[in-house]
Amino acid sequence: MGRSWWPQPVTTQASLMASNWLLFLCAGAVVALIIWGLVAFALLRWRRKRGAATTLPAQLRTNIALEITWTLVPLVLVCILFIYTYRAEAGVEALVPYPDVTVAVNAYRWGWSFGYRGGPTVQGSFSDVPQLVLPRNETTRIILTSSDVNHAFWVPAFLFKRDAIPGRITVFDLRPEKDGTYVGHCAEFCGYAHALMGFSVKVVPPADYARWLKSGPS
Amino acid sequence: MTTARATLARQPRADLLSWITTTDHKRIGILYLTTSLVYFGVAGLLALAIRTQLARPANDFVGVHTYAQLFTLHGTAMIFLFVAPFALGLANFLLPLQIGAPDMAFPRLNATSYWMFLFGGLVIFAGAATNEGAAATGWTAYAPLSEIKISTGLGQDLWIVGVFIVSVATILTSINFITTVFVYRAPGMTMWRIPIFAWEMVATSLLIFMAFPALAADLLLLFVDRNFGGHAFDPAYGGSALLWQHLFWFFGHPEVYVMILPYFGVISEIIPVFSRKPIFGYTGIVLAAFAIAGLSMGVWAHHMFTTGAVDDPFFSFMSFLIAVPTGVKFFDWIATMWGGSISFETPMLFALGFLVNFLLGGITGVMIASPPIDFQAHQSYFIVAHMHYVLGGGSLFAIFAALFFWWPKMFGRKLREGLGAWSFWLLFIGFNVTFLPMHFMGLEGMPRRVYTYDATGVLPLLNAIATAGSYLMAIGVLVFLWNVVVSAFDRTPVGDDPWEANSLEWATTSPPPEYNFDRLPPIRSDRPVFDARHPERDPSAVR
Repeated sequence: MGRSWWPQPVTTQASLMASNWLLFLCAGAVVALIIWGLVAFALLRWRRKRGAATTLPAQLRTNIALEITWTLVPLVLVCILFIYTYRAEAGVEALVPYPDVTVAVNAYRWGWSFGYRGGPTVQGSFSDVPQLVLPRNETTRIILTSSDVNHAFWVPAFLFKRDAIPGRITVFDLRPEKDGTYVGHCAEFCGYAHALMGFSVKVVPPADYARWLKSGPS
Repeated sequence: MTTARATLARQPRADLLSWITTTDHKRIGILYLTTSLVYFGVAGLLALAIRTQLARPANDFVGVHTYAQLFTLHGTAMIFLFVAPFALGLANFLLPLQIGAPDMAFPRLNATSYWMFLFGGLVIFAGAATNEGAAATGWTAYAPLSEIKISTGLGQDLWIVGVFIVSVATILTSINFITTVFVYRAPGMTMWRIPIFAWEMVATSLLIFMAFPALAADLLLLFVDRNFGGHAFDPAYGGSALLWQHLFWFFGHPEVYVMILPYFGVISEIIPVFSRKPIFGYTGIVLAAFAIAGLSMGVWAHHMFTTGAVDDPFFSFMSFLIAVPTGVKFFDWIATMWGGSISFETPMLFALGFLVNFLLGGITGVMIASPPIDFQAHQSYFIVAHMHYVLGGGSLFAIFAALFFWWPKMFGRKLREGLGAWSFWLLFIGFNVTFLPMHFMGLEGMPRRVYTYDATGVLPLLNAIATAGSYLMAIGVLVFLWNVVVSAFDRTPVGDDPWEANSLEWATTSPPPEYNFDRLPPIRSDRPVFDARHPERDPSAVR
């Protein structure tokens, strides 16, 4: 199932998200173990014994110091988590001033078109799944929109998705670091063929990409 | 407590007409509860059909058109017709009793709300009888998918009208609850003595009052778009596809707390009774409820991180903050059990199941409030797992806890303990077997609302496990139904206060007379029935 239950990150941006996930996973595990542990301890320690005399336990109602503590400690914890989230997000959302490659992605019921700047436009529907070709170690700018309803561009291996919304243009950068072919889905329910509205992403060395762009899709 | 006074109570009429025309809050409560449980049964069957379809990849149990209607009606019914209305039904039955009032503030309005809720639900389901079938755009009905150009069927219009009717009914009820608690409390029942459940219902009602009008407006705009040539959500004519989401989630996130705050109240009532201690940190729990309610009005756009059109850090931080008051409640519940004398009757089992499951849903909730995690998790099965841990593992378990706990008060007889434990363990194990694997499905890349998935890798195995778990849950529900049937033949009277509980509803007969109380015990603290049982103790003592 991959490292820490996420797919292995294959873009620069995905590495930021993966380490952010790892932090939350660890923090969540610690909190869960403490709370479940306290519940289990209380149940075992203070379960009513069969046949024991039913005396009323101490009717303790409040302890201000304790209550302030368990308000402030989680408050500090979420502030720390927020700082890391803020940093990771800033890195993921950052746009380089001059991307190496620009692709206009249009989502529609039920397919994708990938328009390469200075190159071809590749199109394909759910019966003939299109492929997005990207150069390795270069920054690709994606300009995303939709021509009918909401869709979402999702490549699980990139740990990233972004909605394609009609009437809106959304921009983000991807910098793949590993060659390979990756699965992409539409992630926003868009009607009956939503489940089949896939695409694939092929990351190739920059030289191969330049050759591919010139010769056009085979 | 005298039991002889039960015979003094005027016997209410029990024929069908008297139930249809009733304005008695207890009968309306029971009508609400029964109706919402029937809707739960239907929505549960739809869920079983969904899980059966997904048992293996490329399955053909239902067609793709049917599948979209299944998950739309499942989500709509569970949210609008079960989890929220069950809380309204429970509050209908309990609020006047808990504050020592003879009825709700507006009994006729109360009846109106119930009948609107019943028929609103039927209107939604009526879509299934139309030519193109019921609505098929998910319970979120995102525009422009739900616009007339794409979703041409009458089913979508019936969905809009039905949900609109239910939302108006809910707003009316919230006004009724707030007025009842503020105006109709018995002498001695100061605000800081009302039971936690009543407090949580005040917070819930304020949320309903603020959030549901946004939904109603959203639905009206969509209805105008579809039927009268409007273009509110149509970008081709200057409309905005994002507007639907903003209005929907401005309602939708507070709605999450409408579906959980009442059940925080249920848990806060049950844990003290079975720990033989007062609720720990009463003031903190009440303030936490209002902190959650307030914060939840400012987090709606965390459902929209992946649109790239909202201020992610603001909504992320506000969402993180909700973990703080929720944590306060958890610590208070644990402190209530700490040093107590804990017994494990069925209501307590379900309450403990709530603690275990809801914690996981809360933790994944903090995770997906972090945009870099949400970019992967959003609209995947991770979200499906998260929200079912909150609403299924949380609210549903609290609902069963409430049914077992207040059943004797409603019907004068207990549900059986042995069968109750069976249904708890079946539901608890079944629930976790169903929904734990969904976290991993989502992280592996399975989008939600799909009728088939990648046949390679781990998805087929995880899905088969989840389907098996859902059948286990179904058996748990059947055991509960069997329990209802067999316990109906029990003739053992349960008495006024079978659990040795705390709040005023246990001071009257089971079931209570039409006017609720012959006389009230003195109210000197937040647990008058405990004080009456222990006259040797000073009600204002804090230890």
